[in-house]
Amino acid sequence: MTSLLVQAVARLSLAPMLVIAAAVLVKGYADVGDGFSAGVIAALAILLQYVTFGRETAERRLPLVRLPAAAFAGLLVALAVALVPVLQGDPPLTHLPAPGAEVTKLGTLELITAVAFDVAVFLLVVGAVVGIIHAVATAEEDAR
Amino acid sequence: MTFLLALGVGVLFGAGAYLLLKPDLFRIVVGIVLIANAANLALLASGLRRGRSPIYPLEGGEPSDPLVQAMAITAIVIGFAVTALLLSLAYRVYASSRTVDLDELSQAEVSRERELEREEVSV
Amino acid sequence: MRRTDVVASGGRLPAATAALATAMLVAAAAAWAAGGGAVDLPWAPSLDLRLHFRLDGLATVYVLLATGVGVAVFAFSSRYLPLHLQHQRRPQSDAVRFYGLLVLFMVAMVGLATAQDLVLLFVFWDLTAIASYFLIAYDRHEAESRWAALMALLVTGVSAVLLLIGALLLHAKYGTFSLPDLFERTRPSGTATLAAALIALAALAKSAQVPLHFWLPRAMAAPTPVSAYLHSAAMVAAGVLLIGRAYPLLEQSRLVLDGLIGVGVASMMVGGLLALTQDDLKRLLAYSTVSQYGYVVFLYGLGGRIAASAAAFYVLAHGISKSALFLTAGAVTEATGGRKRLSQLGGLARPLPVVAAGSAVAAATVAALPLTVGFFADELFFKAALERGTFFAAIAVCAAALTFAYLGRFWVGVFLGSRSAASGRLPRAMVLPVACLGGLAVVGGVVPSPVAQLAGEAGEASVLAPAAVSVAYHLDLRAENVMALAAWAGGAAVLLGSGRLQGILTSFARVGVRVGPERLYDSIVAALNRVSDAVHDLEVRDLRTRVSAVLVPAGALVVAGLLATPTAAAYVMGDVYVRDIGLLLALLLVIACALGVTAARQHLTLALALATVGYGLAAVYAFFGAPDVALVAVLVESVFALLLLGVFSLLPPAVLRREARLSTRRGRRWRDPLVAVISGCVAFLLAWGALSRPTPDEGVAAQQTELAPAAHANDVVTAILADFRALDTLVEVTVVAVAFAGVASLLRRGRLR
Repeated sequence: MTSLLVQAVARLSLAPMLVIAAAVLVKGYADVGDGFSAGVIAALAILLQYVTFGRETAERRLPLVRLPAAAFAGLLVALAVALVPVLQGDPPLTHLPAPGAEVTKLGTLELITAVAFDVAVFLLVVGAVVGIIHAVATAEEDAR
Repeated sequence: MTFLLALGVGVLFGAGAYLLLKPDLFRIVVGIVLIANAANLALLASGLRRGRSPIYPLEGGEPSDPLVQAMAITAIVIGFAVTALLLSLAYRVYASSRTVDLDELSQAEVSRERELEREEVSV
Repeated sequence: MRRTDVVASGGRLPAATAALATAMLVAAAAAWAAGGGAVDLPWAPSLDLRLHFRLDGLATVYVLLATGVGVAVFAFSSRYLPLHLQHQRRPQSDAVRFYGLLVLFMVAMVGLATAQDLVLLFVFWDLTAIASYFLIAYDRHEAESRWAALMALLVTGVSAVLLLIGALLLHAKYGTFSLPDLFERTRPSGTATLAAALIALAALAKSAQVPLHFWLPRAMAAPTPVSAYLHSAAMVAAGVLLIGRAYPLLEQSRLVLDGLIGVGVASMMVGGLLALTQDDLKRLLAYSTVSQYGYVVFLYGLGGRIAASAAAFYVLAHGISKSALFLTAGAVTEATGGRKRLSQLGGLARPLPVVAAGSAVAAATVAALPLTVGFFADELFFKAALERGTFFAAIAVCAAALTFAYLGRFWVGVFLGSRSAASGRLPRAMVLPVACLGGLAVVGGVVPSPVAQLAGEAGEASVLAPAAVSVAYHLDLRAENVMALAAWAGGAAVLLGSGRLQGILTSFARVGVRVGPERLYDSIVAALNRVSDAVHDLEVRDLRTRVSAVLVPAGALVVAGLLATPTAAAYVMGDVYVRDIGLLLALLLVIACALGVTAARQHLTLALALATVGYGLAAVYAFFGAPDVALVAVLVESVFALLLLGVFSLLPPAVLRREARLSTRRGRRWRDPLVAVISGCVAFLLAWGALSRPTPDEGVAAQQTELAPAAHANDVVTAILADFRALDTLVEVTVVAVAFAGVASLLRRGRLR
């Protein structure tokens, strides 16, 4: 397997990488990054766990098996954000609050539906990439 | 600059085309990735303006064209999804026929066709 | 399977279908008695299409035939099909398919009969063809059935396209698909004649008229109830139905009508002569059908006062009796344990008295003996021919004589003579339909006036003028009676002398096989097969040929575009500044690594070189003032490189090593680089030309940059992705989700092999 040093690095870096992903996600509207980048960063963090500890250990330590379901949850959220305005007679993907309106802020995070859309993309990408990793890892075990 | 960017696009495309002609399925996938890269580069290079990053507060002159950037991101992501699918297809081909060589695959398929036809005739 | 099971499983489905057919029959009869009815709904108004159905006289004839014969056929099938499936060692559940298709066919036929719109007509026309395809190929494990089904589908389906073309021609000229409107608007013209001829051709192919008759005898590979239904009263009748329906269009051109006469005469003669040579019961009847529909086509071609009514009358009489004869053939074959040939059969009148009686009446109907409805059919036929002239009357007599002869041969051969075959008892459900249809023919022979009235109304729908016919027995020497007597006498003479004639007839049949239209069909199909095989071989042998078939023409178009573009000021070098040094270096790295990828042997090197290209490009994007793109590119490249390595690790090293040799087939060594260089150059020129000419106006980019703050965003790119062009992003993530589902299922173990 991999050396202890790598294992230690992997274990220690998981949380910071996820934090970075979260930061990229919430900062997306103000700075570089968006839901997709954040999703890939989070997926890379998880991939590192897979590479270092192997599929079984990684999936035992983290609730990863549910992530592919998150992909479809993300797709549903994105569709909801897209279609709810249609019910109100607006074009699809009309975001709230309207331009110029007051925005509720949570620290520097502005709560607007576009952020919900980005979160949906994030969920989808994490779920999809982790699902692919899982599939490759499983196929590898079968191939052996 | 225009010339050099176009040259980059041309080289990426040519290299991709060369790999597409190889019998190795993985090289074909890599060739497709290269061609997708060529397209992304061309997309970004076709921006109306080149300047600083288009992030507020806009400092120091004109920002670069944000629209092509958004399009390039979309293109990159879709390219990634499709190549991932292609890769797993290539693996599937290996799993079912134990080779990733197009020439061998074609031969196998032709002989399988013959076999089927022979069966049909005998039936 | 035991016999009791067989009988038990015959149960509910045929009963339900027979009930459906009965209900439709009763409804149609009641509606006709009430004076018909019509439904007219908009279908696709922008295309000028309507769902327009009307139950007029003509429609009633065919609806009654389709549903009435349908009842008999469903009843017959309830016993026949289980036995048939048992002989074929097939599960009884296959019956579902049979009844489903028969019902589909019946419904399509009813729709076809009542449709008043050419496009609607075409839809039902093809629906009958499709149902018939599956019904003929019902015994699909037999190559002959499949071949026959394909032949029927090709002949009637390809000719159906002519119908569509005719409809489009008419629409182009007169602006409507609706038949009643067309009848009002069309005037004799070249277009109208062409359209009428095309429609007539489609109809003739469907009615199995010479020279497109060859599919019908082949189609006898179908189970007997299918033949009894499709090939006597319904599918084949659809052709003459179309002639009757579109008759006001056809009538405008003497040329088309003369063509109908020619085809009709040829069919009557060829069908009749070939029927005399056949040994196989069903094939004999098939040629008989060709000949009988030849009568109808001939009648329509003659034109005149009563021809259309006579044709409708003839279709009714023939449909009833011919289906009875087909059912007889099925019953006889079943009773004798699978004997299908005249030469193997004989003397069955004693063991099968009811069938013998029923089929005697049916045969007498087709042969036009008195006391059957067929007598009046022939009376009208003779009358219409006489109206036109003596020559046509003579032809009519000859045809009738032939008909008498081959039907006599059929009935005598099966039911009289020495008893050559052991026969078992037949279930009642197989006997009754024959008897009922025969009984119907006798009732029509005694009380012909309702039939005559219906035929008159049908003729009226065809010629758009009163066309009532009256029929009755006349015990005098009027021309029709003399012609009938002459026909019987001639028929009897042919029947008695057929032993001597047999030699001539068989050689005629042999010539037909050698140079006939079926031969032409065979060679066309064989040629098409060869072309398809050649294309297929090309495709299968080399994926690259397949891909290049698309890419090379596309590339040629691009090159043509480049050549056609004026070169003056088309290509701009562009300014290079010192601050761009980083970008240039990154671009250089990309170019070098891209070339490196092509030279890489090991797959590991390949993956690393590719990753370097990606990272280099990310650097280019970063220097371009596109940090968002750079970030995404870096991340995607990382994941993709890892994925590539992951997939490589799934394969045994030996497989990869074999590919690492980069073996190129001979002749490829120079071709591949050449193709690559050419396509690279074209891409370069294209990109250069495009980049040299940015659109002068500012486009939406500046606008979107200004709008971003209003969308509560600082990062304009993110605002575009999540807000302005969020629909793109939605589609993009959908693609990701779908691709993920694809990857997951492709990598799953053991499936999809």
